[in-house]
Amino acid sequence: MIAALRKEFLLQWRTRAQAVAVFVFGATSLLLFSFAIGPNAAALRQHAAGFLWLGLLLSSTLTLSESFHAEMENRALEGLLLLPVSPRVLYYGKALANTVQLMLLGIALVPVMVVLYDAGTTRIPIVLLIIALGTAGISAPGTLYSAMTAQARAKQTLLPLLLFPLIVPVLLASVKATSLAILGDPMDQSSAWLALLVAFDGIYWSLCGLLFDRVVED
Amino acid sequence: MLANPRFPKLPYALMTLGVVCLLIGSYLGLFVAPPEHYMGEVQRIMYVHVPTAWNWMLAVLFTFGAAIAYLFTSDFKWDARVEAGLEVGALLGFLLCCQGAIWAKPTWGVWWDWDPRLTSTAVLLCSFAGILALRRFVDEPTKRAVLSSVATIIASVDLPIVYFSVRWWNSLHQMQSSPATVSSQFHLPLRLNAFGILFLMSGFIALRARIASQRLSSELAPPPQELVGELA
Amino acid sequence: MTGGYITGGWPYVIAAYSWTALVLTAYAVSLFVRLRKSR
Repeated sequence: MIAALRKEFLLQWRTRAQAVAVFVFGATSLLLFSFAIGPNAAALRQHAAGFLWLGLLLSSTLTLSESFHAEMENRALEGLLLLPVSPRVLYYGKALANTVQLMLLGIALVPVMVVLYDAGTTRIPIVLLIIALGTAGISAPGTLYSAMTAQARAKQTLLPLLLFPLIVPVLLASVKATSLAILGDPMDQSSAWLALLVAFDGIYWSLCGLLFDRVVED
Repeated sequence: MLANPRFPKLPYALMTLGVVCLLIGSYLGLFVAPPEHYMGEVQRIMYVHVPTAWNWMLAVLFTFGAAIAYLFTSDFKWDARVEAGLEVGALLGFLLCCQGAIWAKPTWGVWWDWDPRLTSTAVLLCSFAGILALRRFVDEPTKRAVLSSVATIIASVDLPIVYFSVRWWNSLHQMQSSPATVSSQFHLPLRLNAFGILFLMSGFIALRARIASQRLSSELAPPPQELVGELA
Repeated sequence: MTGGYITGGWPYVIAAYSWTALVLTAYAVSLFVRLRKSR
């Protein structure tokens, strides 16, 4: 498991130029979203959480589709499966790596959000927690579907098409929780949303891991 | 072994029975049952909307079961049933959203609302449509069957959310109806239409599975020698 | 037969029922056509 993770991080370190490009993509989308509202500072602040997560979601399609790219290119997938490591370990390694990658992206986008939408908050630990839970909820099914669509035609279109409906509950909960952190939470609703995120993470991480072997077997 | 129909006429019988039930149930619901206290005539939409909802959820459950069955048995007859369930489930889900929108406009003032039940229903509908798209883009039958079964199982996680959403959150949508909550004058048309759609839907799934089986037979069978000679 | 606070609901009711009937019939027809084609 550690070896699988090491391999993933090594791979990502080697392609870190891509990470910068994805960050720029994310930041640019945040900028573009603001044009949908116009210079209304109050409205921008209110929707900041939604924009952040939308930007993160769109960027995730870039990182996730790259996820199995290296393996498919060099047919390394079959090689990996021959090793005495179960596909499940491979899956969790990739999913974890994807989560970390998205988390770092999310954290990097927070200052962009603060600057563009005047959406600063002192509740930083909560925001970090939400980003961790939310990106985990995106990565688990995202990694599985990335493996699935890698074997199909038109993979660029299929991945978002399949993934986005599943992500809606996670997205909703993350946006709501982040919004409460930014705008204030008088009735302490965020614990309910956080609980929902934890529940989804639990369900997706276990279910997707279970199903991964069937997806990559030949 | 693909499904060989033992009762070839059964789907047609089911569909006919379904149509009859729907005609009688709808007649009762439209002209015999009294109008409801707050919603007036518009409430009659319930007699199609609720049965469609129940049967849609059954269709999703069926597809989920078929997907698990395929993963356990690797028998293609289950893949044919998954394909049928996906299509009929998407159809009923689409119909459900249309009926709901038509009912919502006069009662809530909007065609659509983003409350938990509607959102989770739309999610499940889009998931099914996505899996149908996935099937079109995978040519190899075994791979296609495995991938769609896996995707169906994950998508079905949303079904309990749809069902319990009105209970867990303060949804705009009504709580689920049960014979205890609905007065007896409304029972008969509701039940008749529910069975009507059930029979119709079962006939649809059976026929659609047959179409899928036939296509799968030709995909899985080796090509005849003469054709191979022509293609070479 | 007037009742309830929402009046004039018949067009919606008719729309809902007829759309349902149309969609279900169209699907049944498509099934028959596809079945015949695949035979």
